Amino acid sequence: MTPIETTTVQAQIPTRLFLEVEALVKAGWFRDINDLFLEALRRYLDSHRPELIERFAQEDVEWGLRGRD
Amino acid sequence: MLSGGCVAETDTPQVACDAGPIIHLDELSALDLLGEFAAVLVPEAVWLEVSRHRPEAFQREQASLQRVTVEQEEDPAFDALAQALSLGAGERQAIQLARQRSGAFLLTDDAAARLVAESLGLQVHGTLGILIRAARRNQRKPAEVLALLESLPDNSTLHLRADFLAKVIQQFKDAYGL
Repeated sequence: MTPIETTTVQAQIPTRLFLEVEALVKAGWFRDINDLFLEALRRYLDSHRPELIERFAQEDVEWGLRGRD
Repeated sequence: MLSGGCVAETDTPQVACDAGPIIHLDELSALDLLGEFAAVLVPEAVWLEVSRHRPEAFQREQASLQRVTVEQEEDPAFDALAQALSLGAGERQAIQLARQRSGAFLLTDDAAARLVAESLGLQVHGTLGILIRAARRNQRKPAEVLALLESLPDNSTLHLRADFLAKVIQQFKDAYGL
């Protein structure tokens, strides 16, 4: 099987969040921190489609400006 | 052109909140904007999520947030949709709560949650709508709302494309003659 090309990234996250991540890994939910971040990113990208976000935001602008409630 | 203070004739609805709007409004020191709704209902899972990621939001008590235990109802269609779009426990409970309270809005900044909720016939709004509505409801002066919109990239974790936010800001300025 061809290995998947990967890129290493560095990111700063709140320590509080990192401790939660670490706890999940230690508890055995993920093989390592890389696996957890990969899963989190996949889920985020699955559910956060830019065109959808902007369509909803534009609907909100209309409601904010001219809604009746 | 709109003017600040054109408060609508209708009563304000109840809202069921997902974590995003609570966190984003608190980051902007604007959580009090939710105080105008008839009730601000926060399901248990969302309460726990906000407690973990933005505990200070509950310490300020600006919006009389009500912690609510959501009655679990069997709904295979909803479960399938929620699972397909990877909704978290908080998003699921917020949608369920809005469905259980007649006429309640859902407040969420999560596109997937909004997609599911709208497909179920719920009225859904997010942080951006709440901010802009504040001028219409005379909760803030238009210039104050403008400042909040302009501060979004620096002061909040609500992520919008810069070009898109600029367009929104222009629409707001045009509407209020700013």
